[in-house]
Amino acid sequence: MNARLKPSFLSRYPELGTEPLPVYPYLASDYYQKEIASIFRQDWLCVGRIEEIPKPGDYKVKRLDFAHTSVILIRGKDGAIGAFHNVCRHRGNKVVTETGREETYGSNKAAVITCRFHGWTYDAKGALVGVPQEERFPPCFKRADNSLVPIHVDTWSGFICINLAEKPRMQLSEFLGGLKDHLDGYPFGSMPDVHTYYAHLNCNWKIGMDAFGEAYHVPTIHAGSFPGLTDYWQDDVAFYGDHRSIAFFAADMNPPTPVGSAANSIFGASIALARTEPFPLPKTVNPTRHKNWGFEQSTMFPNFLIHVGEGLWFTHQFWPISENKCLWEGKYFLKAPKTNSEHWAQRYAVTLQRNAWLEDTATMEDTHDALMSGAVKQINLQDDEIMLRHAFNAINRRVRALDEEAKGAHA
Amino acid sequence: MSITLPGGFEDLQPFADRWALATEYERAAERRRSSPADIKAFYDVGLRCLPQILKRADQYPLGQISGVDSSLFHLALSLAEVAPHVEFYDCDPRVPFAFREERLVGVHCGTAD
Repeated sequence: MNARLKPSFLSRYPELGTEPLPVYPYLASDYYQKEIASIFRQDWLCVGRIEEIPKPGDYKVKRLDFAHTSVILIRGKDGAIGAFHNVCRHRGNKVVTETGREETYGSNKAAVITCRFHGWTYDAKGALVGVPQEERFPPCFKRADNSLVPIHVDTWSGFICINLAEKPRMQLSEFLGGLKDHLDGYPFGSMPDVHTYYAHLNCNWKIGMDAFGEAYHVPTIHAGSFPGLTDYWQDDVAFYGDHRSIAFFAADMNPPTPVGSAANSIFGASIALARTEPFPLPKTVNPTRHKNWGFEQSTMFPNFLIHVGEGLWFTHQFWPISENKCLWEGKYFLKAPKTNSEHWAQRYAVTLQRNAWLEDTATMEDTHDALMSGAVKQINLQDDEIMLRHAFNAINRRVRALDEEAKGAHA
Repeated sequence: MSITLPGGFEDLQPFADRWALATEYERAAERRRSSPADIKAFYDVGLRCLPQILKRADQYPLGQISGVDSSLFHLALSLAEVAPHVEFYDCDPRVPFAFREERLVGVHCGTAD
């Protein structure tokens, strides 16, 4: 028994309940459709970082399978970022051809994008600025009526967020609420080097979120890659509306090993190895400045986990594709290396982290598959899994509200 | 033998053709193809040479290592790839109890290296 585990978060948040959670929301197609309608098509979603498109004319295309669309994010000559459906107004081809990866990048000096099909050209405000053989279109055709279809876009701490609703229920800053105040000031932009891993998983998106949403699994799942992190605990639980955060503490780090120690002495870039350089955290992150603090996990509702540490930060995002498929994206961010040996040391840390993520993702499809048996109708959560309970409540509230709306419409 | 290492690295020479690989994708694939004994043998020699390799690498500006030193640096990156397997996984060529690695796609700072 780990004596440092904190007693009863649940007693502090009785509104979250203590009963087992139903399995139904992880499996049912109708529940999934309601999640998409009431959450993913209504809420602000993070789709990138400003560092990914730093210069005027830089663009990124992000697939959003749940909405059967892809989004063009393009930086204009004025520096502003525009977001548009990647659909040409001519006959609906994709304006930017995707490379097959989940994220496609490009750049155009004139800050315009041109459809490869017939050469229609749009500027960074979405305006149609070029139509070959325009005179051959009938008089009713107007450029002004055929801009790219815009998507609401805003940024927070360098995160590019979009909202697919025609009229968002609230602005991004209001949506983020206390989460924004909590993480504002964390120097995300000073650690721009991103190491991305992604995979398509045959499981519900919430199974993935849940697997990363607690540290109860660390001594078992990470016995391979993080054998030193068995004496852990969680604390600093906070809720900001539908968003949430919790911190991870560990009494010990990984045991020193020859290559691990060599890497760590050059550049401290691993969550499992001690970092000694002082690091400026916002006041509310590790508020007691506890020496065993490892990192904090914040969840930007609904699908984005942001982990902040000292000298590193990382994110996980689960994109729904159907009730039994999702895309997982893990990103690990570090300060740009100054030397080749620093580059080497970072790659060691990223490799170990990749392996830990392979351990994390190992359970997700098995969990979904096993739940599909129908053998169990409920799952049991302990105290350290309070983030999962909060997530269930937040999602279920939206789905139920949609049900109520539908009832009202029929009444 | 196609890759020749600089003088002083004769011990690493037998590993050069297999492990001097430019991308993480290739290094991980080579590791999965290897036997536990292969991994341990490369690790032991690689670890011994690591300080010298990094010293030579740092004579070049970041990302501009060229010629034979580039092969040496790729060997160091392969050492980083196999190190957890020797130091934590009992020389298992795969990450034990893990998601199928081949299904994972990696992109680093916009490249596959």
